[in-house]
Amino acid sequence: MKVLEPLSLRDRQSPNRVLFGPHETNLGFDRSIGERHLAYYERRAAGGAGLVVCEEASVHDSDWPYERCPLAAECGPGWTALAERVHVHGALAIAAIGHTGGQGSSAYSQRPLWAPSGVPEVNTREMPKVMEHHEIEAVVRGFGAAADLAARSGLDGVEVNAGQNSLVRQFLSGLTNLRDDDYGTDRLRFAREVLHAVRSGVGGGLVGLRLSCDELAPWAGIVPEAAAEIAVALAPWIDYLVVVRGGIFSVAATRPDGHDAPGFNLDLVGAIRSAVRSATGDRVPVFGQGSIVDIGQAEWAIDDGRCDAVEMTRAEIADADLVAKAAAGHVDRIRPCILCNQTCKVRDARNPIVSCVVDPRSGHETTDPDPAGASAVARDVLVVGAGVAGLECARVAAERGHRVVVREQASEAGGMVRVVATGAGRDRLADVADWLVAECTRLGVVIETGVDVTAADVAVAEAAGTRVVLCTGSVAGDRTYDVVDDAEPVTADAVLAAIRSGRMADLVPPGPVVIWDPIGGPIAVSVAESLVGADGVTSVTLVTPDLIVGTMLSRSGDLAPGNVRLAGAGVESVKRAVLREVRPDGAVVEDRFTGERIDLAAAIVIDAGPMLPDERLWIASGRRSVRAGDAVAPRTIYEAVLEGRRVALDLDLGLVAAGRMGG
Amino acid sequence: MSGSQYRYLFNPLRIGPVTVANRIVFAAHLTNYAEQGRPSEQHAAYYAARAAGGAGLIITEEHSVHPTDWPYEKMIHGFHDDVLPGYRRITEAVHAHGVPIFAQINHNGGQASSMYTRLPVWGPSPVADPLFREVPKAIDQAEIDEVIAGYADVAARCKAGGFDGIELQCSHSSIVRGFLSRATNRRTDDYGGSLENRARLLHQIVAAVRAAIGPELALGVRLCGDELIENGITIDETVEVAQAVEDQGMVDYINTSIGVATASLFMIEASMHIPPDYAMFIPSAIRKAVDLPVVGVGRFKDPLQAERALAQGHADLIGVVRGQIADADFAAKARSGHHHDIRLCLSCNQECVGRMGLNRWLGCIENPVTGRESTQSVELRPTAPKQVVVVGGGPAGLQTAIAAARRGHRVTVLEREPEAGGQVRLAARVPNRAEFGDLVRNQVHECEQLGVEIRLGVDATADLIDTLRPDAVVIATGSNPARPWWAPPVLDESGPRPGELPVIDVVDVVAGRFSPQGHVIVIDEVGFHPATSVAELLADRGCRVDVLSPGMVVGQDLGITLDMENWWLRATSKGIGQVPDQVIVGLEGTELQALHHPTGVTSPRTADWVVLAVPGAPADALYFELQDRYSTSNSSVTVQRAGDCVAPRRAHAAVIEGNRIGSAL
Repeated sequence: MKVLEPLSLRDRQSPNRVLFGPHETNLGFDRSIGERHLAYYERRAAGGAGLVVCEEASVHDSDWPYERCPLAAECGPGWTALAERVHVHGALAIAAIGHTGGQGSSAYSQRPLWAPSGVPEVNTREMPKVMEHHEIEAVVRGFGAAADLAARSGLDGVEVNAGQNSLVRQFLSGLTNLRDDDYGTDRLRFAREVLHAVRSGVGGGLVGLRLSCDELAPWAGIVPEAAAEIAVALAPWIDYLVVVRGGIFSVAATRPDGHDAPGFNLDLVGAIRSAVRSATGDRVPVFGQGSIVDIGQAEWAIDDGRCDAVEMTRAEIADADLVAKAAAGHVDRIRPCILCNQTCKVRDARNPIVSCVVDPRSGHETTDPDPAGASAVARDVLVVGAGVAGLECARVAAERGHRVVVREQASEAGGMVRVVATGAGRDRLADVADWLVAECTRLGVVIETGVDVTAADVAVAEAAGTRVVLCTGSVAGDRTYDVVDDAEPVTADAVLAAIRSGRMADLVPPGPVVIWDPIGGPIAVSVAESLVGADGVTSVTLVTPDLIVGTMLSRSGDLAPGNVRLAGAGVESVKRAVLREVRPDGAVVEDRFTGERIDLAAAIVIDAGPMLPDERLWIASGRRSVRAGDAVAPRTIYEAVLEGRRVALDLDLGLVAAGRMGG
Repeated sequence: MSGSQYRYLFNPLRIGPVTVANRIVFAAHLTNYAEQGRPSEQHAAYYAARAAGGAGLIITEEHSVHPTDWPYEKMIHGFHDDVLPGYRRITEAVHAHGVPIFAQINHNGGQASSMYTRLPVWGPSPVADPLFREVPKAIDQAEIDEVIAGYADVAARCKAGGFDGIELQCSHSSIVRGFLSRATNRRTDDYGGSLENRARLLHQIVAAVRAAIGPELALGVRLCGDELIENGITIDETVEVAQAVEDQGMVDYINTSIGVATASLFMIEASMHIPPDYAMFIPSAIRKAVDLPVVGVGRFKDPLQAERALAQGHADLIGVVRGQIADADFAAKARSGHHHDIRLCLSCNQECVGRMGLNRWLGCIENPVTGRESTQSVELRPTAPKQVVVVGGGPAGLQTAIAAARRGHRVTVLEREPEAGGQVRLAARVPNRAEFGDLVRNQVHECEQLGVEIRLGVDATADLIDTLRPDAVVIATGSNPARPWWAPPVLDESGPRPGELPVIDVVDVVAGRFSPQGHVIVIDEVGFHPATSVAELLADRGCRVDVLSPGMVVGQDLGITLDMENWWLRATSKGIGQVPDQVIVGLEGTELQALHHPTGVTSPRTADWVVLAVPGAPADALYFELQDRYSTSNSSVTVQRAGDCVAPRRAHAAVIEGNRIGSAL
C-alpha cells in the first residue's frame, strides 16, 4: 500500500504516511506533557503511526486557551521523554506549537486576549486586544524559542498551527485582520516572521505547517484560491503542509462528526497540493486531513494524487494499531472510528480527557489494563444479549482464551446500536456492531440469535460452572405525561427499528409528527431528520425543555450544524416546553416559564426520553448475575464497551470484585 | 459607631459541643480549588481569610464520600486517605483565628455524570437528572450500605483532620434528597413510598456518622425546604423531616437551602434579580417546629439584614457566602461598627457562580484577591511613593487607584463625567440591576478612605496630565459605542432624521439621550445584560420590543450568572420578543435586512427605533498620544492602560487589570 511506504522529510524519514495529528487531550494535570500523554502517544507509535504530533503547546504565556493547554516553556522534559518513547518505535516525534490569539480564553490567564484586530470570536464574544508591535515581536520570539526547545529536546521538529484555532490564521485572514499597518497591508507578514523564527530555532529539524485553506466565509475569509497562494508563499520555510479548513465562523468544520462525509476535504487538499507542486516542485509533501478514518480511503487519496500522506488522528484514537494491522494485512481487523466525536473531542470546560467510545482505554493507558493477553484459566462464559456490551464482553473474553457463547433474542446481533444507526447521518454507528461481530466470529465466539434465555437457562449454566453475564439492554422508559383516549405514543427506538425494517408506514401514520426530546440528544434529532419529508409525514415538530434544540450535541460539535440541518429541512421546534398529554390526534405541551399550554396536532407522538434497564432476566434469575451496559443503566456506546470489557477482564482479574464497575 | 446596633448577630451560640462567637456562617459552597481530589493550599488560605475576618463558623465545601460520586472535576475526594494533610492544613489555618470549622460531606447521587468516574451513576431510582441527563443505576441494599459506610468513613477522616463538626448536605444536590423526594425516588422497598421510608437513608447516615465521630464533634443536617420542581419536596414535608431528625437525638443543628442544583440553581444562588430574604420561609418554618439551632440562607449580603432576620426569629444563624466572598472582613467590619466599609456583594454572580459552572476557580468581580488568597495578599509593602495620575473613573481606573494608594502612592483620578463609575453607573440604571452600582460605591468609598483624589468633570488632556507632573500615568478611559458598517451616522441632539431609521446605542437610552418610542428592535451582539436590560427598560416604558441575536439564544451568557430563567419570565410577561439566529446584513431605506443564518434566508424588518448592544471600541487615543509623548522625550514617566481602553470587556476584567497595574507601579 502506498500509505505504508516511507516518506522523506528533509533528511528524515517517516516509516509510513500516516500522521497522528495534534489535538486537545486534557491528559495533563498542568501545562506540561506528563505520563498520561506519553503513554497515549507511545501506544500510537507502537501501533505503527509514522509521525506522532504532540498536543499543541502555546508559544507565549499570553495564550492559555484551555486549562490544561500545554505551554511550550514547560514542555522541555515532556518533549524529551516523548522523543525517546516515540523514537523507540521508529516513528517521528513532532511538537505542535501555536498561539490561539483571539480564539483563546482570558479565564485562566486573567489577561486580555491578543489578536490582530478587535474582532471577537463568535462563540465567546470576548473582545481581544489589538496587538501592539512589541507584542507581535514577543509572540514571534516565542515561536522561535519553542522551536529551539523542541529541537533541543530531541524532537524531529515542530508543526506550526495556522489552522482553525490560531493567531497565525487570524493574521492571514481578512475576517480577523483589519490592521492598517504593515501586518495588515501584508497579511502574510506575521506568518513569514513566525516561520522564519521557527526555522532558525529548529535548526535542522522539520517545520510543518497546518494551514486553514478555507474558512468557509468567502466574504472576507481565506478561500481556497487565496490559500493556494499563501501555501506557495510560505513553502520555502516548511517541510510539510497539512491542509485543513475552518475559521471563526466554522468552529466545527475542521473535525466534524459523521454528518460530514469522510475525506470531505480531499478536493481542497488536492487543489492546494497541485498549486504547491507547480510552484515549488515536490519538496513539500502535503498531508490530507478531514475525517479520513478508513485506510482504504487514505490509500485512494494518495494514489489519486490528492495528497502525499494523511492525517488519521481519530482513526488511531479508535485503533492505536491501525497501521500495524494494515501492514500485517489485517485491514479488516481495524477497529473502526465511527466519527461520533463523543469522547475524543474534549475542548470542553469540564476538562474531560480524550477517550474513544469503541476503545475506552484510549486516554486511559496508564490505568486501564490492556484487554489483550491470555487468561491462565479458560472458562465457559454465557453472555446474554448481543448488543455492544455483550459483544465486547464476548470479544475480550474470547481473545483471552475463554469459551464464549452469546445468546441474542433478536434475529441479528448488534442490539440498540444498529437501531440508532438508522437515524439520519448516523449510519457509521453500525460499524461498531459489524466489527464486534466479525471479531467475535474470528475468535470463535458462538453467537446464537433468535434465542430467548430464561432464568432456568441461567441456573443450568451457573450449575455447570459457566460464568453468566447479562447484557440485556434497555426497555422503554416511564411516560412522564398523560396518555388519553387510547392514544399510542411510540418510542424513538421503535420508530428507528421500523424504518430499518422498511415498515415505517406501519408505525407512523400520515400527518404531522411530534417528537418529545427531554434529552436534547442525537437520537431525537436524527429521528426528526429521518422523518421530515418522508412519505405521508406532513410536518415534524421537536419539543424540547431547553432553549436550544439538541443541546447535548455540543460535545460532538454537531450543535450548530445540527440546528442548521434541522432548519434547512423545515423541522419545527417548540422550545422551553414539557410534554403534558398525548391524545390520539395530538399533544399538549406546556411552556416551562409561563405555564401556557399549547395544543400540537400530531398523527403520532414519538417519545425520545430516557430508557430503563431491562432487568427482567436479572430479577428472575435471582439478582445475582453480573451485568454490563444498558442493563445496568441505559447510557451510550462508551459505557457499554467499557463495562462489557471490564466484565470480561474480571473473569481473570477480579475488577468487579474489587469494586466499582457497577455490575 | 459601635457594634451595639446588633443585639443578636454577635451573640455566641452553642451548636452541640461547639460554641460559635457570632451568628455569621460562611456556609458551604463549591470553590473548584481542589487539586486532583485533594484540598489545596488555596482552600486553607481562603477559609483562613474569612476566619481572620471574623466569621462565626466556617463550613467547607462538600467532600465526596464514595468513588461513585464525582460530578465535577475539582471535587474533594473525602474517600481517599490522601486528603488528610489538606484537611489538617485547612483546620489549623482556621483554628489559628479561633474560629470553628465544619466539613460538609455528601454523595450527589443521580445529580452527576460518569464523565470522571467512568462508573454508573448511583441513585435511588433510574430517573435521569434534568441537567446531567444520565440514567442512574438504582442502588441495591449492599450499595446503600456502602454509601452509608462511606459517610461514616469520611466523617471519621474529617475528625482526624481536625474539623469541629460535620454537615450532611441532604439538600440541593444529594443522594439523600434524592431518596427524600418523590420526584426521584420511585422505589417500592423500605426506602420508597412513605416519608418515613424515604427518610430512612437520612436517619441511617446520621446514626452511622454520629457513631463515627462520637460526641465531641457537632453534627448538622442541611435540608431542602422546597425543591421548586414537580412532585418535589415542599416545606411541610421538610418540617416533618427536621422534626424526625431532631427526635433521632443525634444532630446538633439544621441548615437549610432551597431548590435543586441541577434543576433550579437560579433560586439557590439567586442573583440580584431575586429579592433578598426570598428563602426565609424555610428556616422560619423549621425553627418553629424544632429546638435545634437553624441556619437561614439566601442572599444575605448586609449585616443589618442578617440582624433583622435573627431579631424576627426566622433563624439562629445566617449563612453569608457571597457577602464574605466579596469581603473577607464582612463580620469584623460589622462588629466594629464599620459596616459602611464592607465591600458589599453585588449578587451579580459573574465571577463566583459564573466561574464555578465553567470549572474555573471561584473569584469575585470586585475582589481580585478572592481565589488568589494563597498567592496574593491585600497588604502590599509600601514602595517609594510616586505621583500617579489615573485617567478615567470607571471600575478599571478606580481599582488602579485603590491598588496604587494601598502601596502608598499619591493618586489622582481624573474623570470626565460629573460622577465616577463609568459604564457601571449606567448598567445599574436599568430595571433590577441597581445593586450592580454598589461596585462603584464600594470603590469610591475605598478611594476616599485611602486618600485618593477623584477630580470629576475634568477632561484630561496630555497637557493637563503634564501639569500634574506624574511619575506614572494609567489610562482607563473605557470604550466608545461602536457602530456596525450598515448603521447610518450617529444622531445629533436634534434626534431622528426624517426618512431614516434611528439607530442608537444602549448607552444613549440608559443615559437618557434618546427615548425610543413605538416598536424598538434591540440587537444583541454582546450576549449579556446590556441588550436584555435595555429591552426591559423600554418595554416598561410602553415600547414594543424585539431582541435580535446572532446567537442561538438572546443573552447567551445570562445562563452563566443564573439570570436566564428570570429573564425569560420577565421577557414573557413584558411581551418582549426574542429572535435568535439573526445577523443584520444591511439597511435598505428604513428596513433592516436580517439574515436567518441557519437557513440563509434574508428578511426585511421594520421598526421605529433600533438600539445596538454591540461590542464597544477602545478609547485608546490618549494612551497612544501619551506613549508617543513620553517615549520620545526621554522621560521617566510610565504610561499604561487598563480596562476597556485595552479591549472592551466585562467589569471583572477592568478590576483585575486595574489591580494588577496599580499594585505593580
